[in-house]
Amino acid sequence: MARYGMALDYKNCINCKACEVACKEENGVELGAEKHRIWVGANDVKGEWPLLDIASAAFLPSQCQHCEDAPCQEVCPTNATYYDENHVVRVDSDKCILCSYCMNACPYDARYVDDRTMTVDKCTFCSDTRLARGETTTACQATCPTKVRTFGDLDDPNSEISELLRTREHFSLKAHLGTNPKLFYLT
Amino acid sequence: MPKEISRRRFLQGSVALTVIGSSAMGKTNFIYFKKEKSSIPESITTKTSTKKAEEIPFLCGICVNKCAGFARVEDGVVTKLNPNPYFPKSRNMLCARGNAGIQTTYDPDRLKYPLVRIGERGDGKYKRVSWEEAYNAILHGTDKFKGLLQILEEEKDNRSTIAYCNGEGLSKEGFEVLMGEKIGTVNYVDEVSICLETTLGGYFATIGTYGEADLSNADYLIIAGANRAEAIITPDTMDLFKRSKGRGLKTIVLDPRFTNTAAKADRWYAVNPGTDLAFVLALTYVALSEELYDKAFIKKYGVGFEAYKNHIISHKYTPEWAENITNIPAKEIIKTAREFMSAQSPIYYQGRRSVFSKNDFQLRRAMAIFQGLSGNLNKKGGIIYGEPLELPEEEINSPIYNQAQGRFDKHNIAILSQRAGSWMVFRNMVVEKKSPYPVRAMFMRKHNPIAGVPNSAKTIQFLKQMDLNVMIDILPSDSMMYADVVLPEASYLERTSPVASYGLLEPAIVQRKAAIEPLYETKTPEQIYKELAEVLSKPLFEISKKYDNELQEEVKKRGEKNVYKEDGYILSDAWEKDVAERNRERVVKAFGEDAWKILEEKGVYYSNIEKYHKQVNANEYQYYPENKKKYSVETDNIKLVFNFRHLADIGVDSMPTWKDEYLFSVPEGKFRLITGRHAQFTQSATTNNMMLRDLIHTNYLWINRRIADKKGIKFGDMLEVKSKVGKVTIKAYPTEKIAPNQVFMIHGFGGLSQDMTMAYGNGANDATLLEDIHEPVYGAAVMHETNVEIRKV
Amino acid sequence: MKIGPLSIPLKEDFSLKSILGFEKTPVNMLLALSVIAMLVMLVVGIGNYLIHSHHAYNVTRQHPWGLLIAVYIFFVVSSTGFCIVGSLGDVFGFKDFTMISKRAIFGSIVTILAGFTVIAFEIGHPVTMMIYNVLTPGLTSAIWWMGTLYGLYLTFMIIEFYFLLNNDMKKAKIFGLTGLLVGLAAHSNLGSVFGFLNARTISQGVYYPTYFILTAFITGIFLSFIIMGFRYKLNFNEKTKKLLEGLAKIQGLLISILIFFMTWKLLTDMYGGVPTRSDVAHHIIHTAPFWAEVILVMIIPLLVILKDFGKSPVLMFWASLSGMVGIFFMRYNLVHDTQVKPLQMMKIREYQLSPEWIHYFPSASEIMISLGGLGLCILLYYVGTRAFNLDEEEGH
Repeated sequence: MARYGMALDYKNCINCKACEVACKEENGVELGAEKHRIWVGANDVKGEWPLLDIASAAFLPSQCQHCEDAPCQEVCPTNATYYDENHVVRVDSDKCILCSYCMNACPYDARYVDDRTMTVDKCTFCSDTRLARGETTTACQATCPTKVRTFGDLDDPNSEISELLRTREHFSLKAHLGTNPKLFYLT
Repeated sequence: MPKEISRRRFLQGSVALTVIGSSAMGKTNFIYFKKEKSSIPESITTKTSTKKAEEIPFLCGICVNKCAGFARVEDGVVTKLNPNPYFPKSRNMLCARGNAGIQTTYDPDRLKYPLVRIGERGDGKYKRVSWEEAYNAILHGTDKFKGLLQILEEEKDNRSTIAYCNGEGLSKEGFEVLMGEKIGTVNYVDEVSICLETTLGGYFATIGTYGEADLSNADYLIIAGANRAEAIITPDTMDLFKRSKGRGLKTIVLDPRFTNTAAKADRWYAVNPGTDLAFVLALTYVALSEELYDKAFIKKYGVGFEAYKNHIISHKYTPEWAENITNIPAKEIIKTAREFMSAQSPIYYQGRRSVFSKNDFQLRRAMAIFQGLSGNLNKKGGIIYGEPLELPEEEINSPIYNQAQGRFDKHNIAILSQRAGSWMVFRNMVVEKKSPYPVRAMFMRKHNPIAGVPNSAKTIQFLKQMDLNVMIDILPSDSMMYADVVLPEASYLERTSPVASYGLLEPAIVQRKAAIEPLYETKTPEQIYKELAEVLSKPLFEISKKYDNELQEEVKKRGEKNVYKEDGYILSDAWEKDVAERNRERVVKAFGEDAWKILEEKGVYYSNIEKYHKQVNANEYQYYPENKKKYSVETDNIKLVFNFRHLADIGVDSMPTWKDEYLFSVPEGKFRLITGRHAQFTQSATTNNMMLRDLIHTNYLWINRRIADKKGIKFGDMLEVKSKVGKVTIKAYPTEKIAPNQVFMIHGFGGLSQDMTMAYGNGANDATLLEDIHEPVYGAAVMHETNVEIRKV
Repeated sequence: MKIGPLSIPLKEDFSLKSILGFEKTPVNMLLALSVIAMLVMLVVGIGNYLIHSHHAYNVTRQHPWGLLIAVYIFFVVSSTGFCIVGSLGDVFGFKDFTMISKRAIFGSIVTILAGFTVIAFEIGHPVTMMIYNVLTPGLTSAIWWMGTLYGLYLTFMIIEFYFLLNNDMKKAKIFGLTGLLVGLAAHSNLGSVFGFLNARTISQGVYYPTYFILTAFITGIFLSFIIMGFRYKLNFNEKTKKLLEGLAKIQGLLISILIFFMTWKLLTDMYGGVPTRSDVAHHIIHTAPFWAEVILVMIIPLLVILKDFGKSPVLMFWASLSGMVGIFFMRYNLVHDTQVKPLQMMKIREYQLSPEWIHYFPSASEIMISLGGLGLCILLYYVGTRAFNLDEEEGH
């Protein structure tokens, strides 16, 4: 029983996409351009060569935010989307009817259709792979070259993530929607 | 259980979209299911199970960097590659390509069986044969090509009629032993002359080392022409970007393009390509004229400082002078020079990349000198000399071939490298019939010169000209299509490789262990060397005996059996023990039995690893305690050679000097072609990687957005790009990240081999366009001095 | 016909022959052939879907709801509309409207059946849905309420229709009222499927649940003109004329209210300054389907009504056809415009343009299944007219 979250030191991110590939290999994610559980976003740099706006070229890793109040969960007609015992937002593919409501409701574009099961798939925080084996990191965290990610239990005041969130300023994506994400971007 | 799209089905789907030739090769494209210890996964990605699984230490081979990891093996299938937290060089990480390495092993297009050519060169028609038949085809030839025996006979045992090439890797040395030492040719070319030869040369000549940049502790960094966010080198990439962006390491990036590294910079200067030398000279001018340098350090280690000072000042390499050349404002140059020299631990990053301009050797010299002026060498936060861990050398019993002739690829080159020569000069001399004796056979391994060496047309001509081409590789590359005999090699997850030593500041030795048995009928490189050597030994010895008088004398004196054995003519004697056994012997000899045990288990060893290695937090580890890191070492290598007099004797400037001929002009309406790397892609071999293809499916031509607007070019439009030596078509990527008179493409796409179904015809290959220009010191290929014209098609 | 205790009064001559025994006019032949073509398309479309599953559709991660959702909404709104119009007479007792009740209630049944047919091939796992809707109901989900209530609604409509056929007006009224209330609840829940979408500011809020009821009523009246037009071959008797005039007047009022609603919705969207709402609203008014909706549903019918306050039933028939095409665009726009703004606005691959507006155009299979739904609807309705007496019984 834990309340898992992830802190992202996103300024470290170099958009190498190691996390995305590690996630796919670890979790057997389907290949395909729009089949990804996690990703790194980049904006087109602003300005005209050679006076480009470096600050506009930040990289932002993203994925399911594992919201405390997840819109995807609220809209699921069969409760296929549920919070597991560690507060991780999961999909029970046996119950998923593929109405795609959750895909429309998720403010983060974190869900997609797995064509092999024809159900909705998303980040699981490696719950059914690494965590199930007793490992303490997700695949994306472990592989990251610049060590952007820290995964851990938000309920444990001694965890690294708790320490980070106590001492570093951070923000959440689309916080105004009141979804209470459990991904925290460190500034 | 969800139904997975099987690999076979996926393949069939993709094959249907591509043109499959009527070649015999086409038939071998399909997966051959073989249920043994190793098996092919049912789907492209395999979800790891919750069971315990074997975790086998491996060393990544998808690029040259060498990151360590553990391969998770479940039921004979590698399901995941995880980073190895014990290796100080790669510090518990694997990049996107490293993670996607699984897909190389399970690439459906892999070379699976030995092949012998039955069609014409380049048409991809091959016949599947047994290994024995393949080796014999090399020796005796077929009705389509000549064998080694006939060639050597005709060349009267001039072993140098055989040439060979090999790309970077742990088994490269073995191939050098087979071809250079045992078979006995001098004609060897490799990736160095299309890569970082001048960098290494320049740094060693100037400060006695290439060193390591201690980016964990530096506080000021000029990183020019090195794109560490996209061309990942460890630990540099990791150390740098954890501290950039106002977090302790002020970062100044010079690059014609706005790269992902530039995106992380405090300042980015869009330097005019090939003019970094002027920038460094101007920095030096500021440092010298304002006396900002470390006088004590120069006094102790400097050679020819006064001469250099006079040289710089008298040539008036002022910031204003450099502004016109480099496109970097003088005041920025002055600011940068002052900041650098007043920083506690400044580093002008050495970089390592292909040669972009003819002055590259002098650029490296100037960079090393500028670094030296700060005195920030051999100390924490500076360029580290350090102490590598030494592994015992292995003795090779090399036969002497008196008939073998010497190297000739020194046309217009000042320094002929001791080991491998200049690919471009060598190739051109052979093609232009300027070699003093015919070069008639080419043995290639893990190298794709058609895609790698500028002017692909000439490389193709070179290969076509050979009587015998042999290729040892994993995938059917462009160059493989010109081979007569193809020997399929095990991928790096299927083989144990010779143990290697890495690192200066935190040195370690590392071993790649086979995670699974070789798939299909592939063999490890060392096994191939051995078996080929066994087949060639006796027949080749007979030829030497026929033409080599001295050998005949020896045979008379000592008896054939003894000479054959004692003088190294048993070519396979270098591989009597297998790799694992030799690794054990070397490690035990150097570090003891315990070291071997640790290495076997962890994949990594260094003294006191068990005591020193500690986890600091979830992501980071301590490898050596602070006081055991080799920040400063006692060494005679430290020097700072301002004036390298000897260079003048061979026609090279003894001090870095700017010459007007270095200015490169781009005619109106044309564009300067520049090339580079990408973080999800290494080179031609990775274009066929299914996983990476998802991330970057093809290359595009960067063109300045405003220019594109004027020309009516939109994103994705097809462009024809034409240079003096070739033309390609490629999609357009209008962006502000590039100058108006330049275009850029990632190197390595545009595969010509139909048997790489994902890569074939996908994007464009820069080598087709690049003119064969080389720099004067080593003959290294110059990549950024080609103008192209573009046209919407 | 008797089925157990139930007695269903079929027309005496009802047989395959009576079904095929329509007048072979060119218009009828064309209609018949079109229906057959649409049914063939339904089979082909479904076949394609069964082979390629969702790959047969152009739905994507960014645009998971496509044409079939729009067509489903189109049919269920039509059903609700029929139900409202049908209720005017037998539930609320407006005498002038009683003559259309049976026909409208039957219409509500066939349209919702067509809607269910289409959605069955949009929902990935309809059987799983039926099981887990019951076992693990998602009570916070608008889709659960909508689906469950529509199921109930269909049941009530069938019962009501049964009593109407048997002239048991009292029971018909009870089930009609219950059905109407459940239908309105179901229908506003369908609106709330969009209204609850926090992530999609353009749709989020109270607008769609209420607007759905309004547009359902409008749809019902358009459809009434169409079915009555066919019933009387545009040659209306006085009683029908009176009915249609009344409907036209109501329609004039409803369309005016709709225009009022829409104007304020758009104005507050566009100038309310809410991010991802105002930019989307600006985008929407520059798209052709939006203007198709405005012109076909609002301008043309309203002009026809205003011409002589609804006294031209034939013209209204044609205006209603225009209105129904427009209603289709209205549903399509609702679905598409909800999703038109990407939720993830960054580039996730180097070589792509920054995400801008999401493009969607239905695939052949989606179009075939949609047209198939229409064909099915027309067929069922036509068979109904042959099987049942949908006209008002004499003497009532």
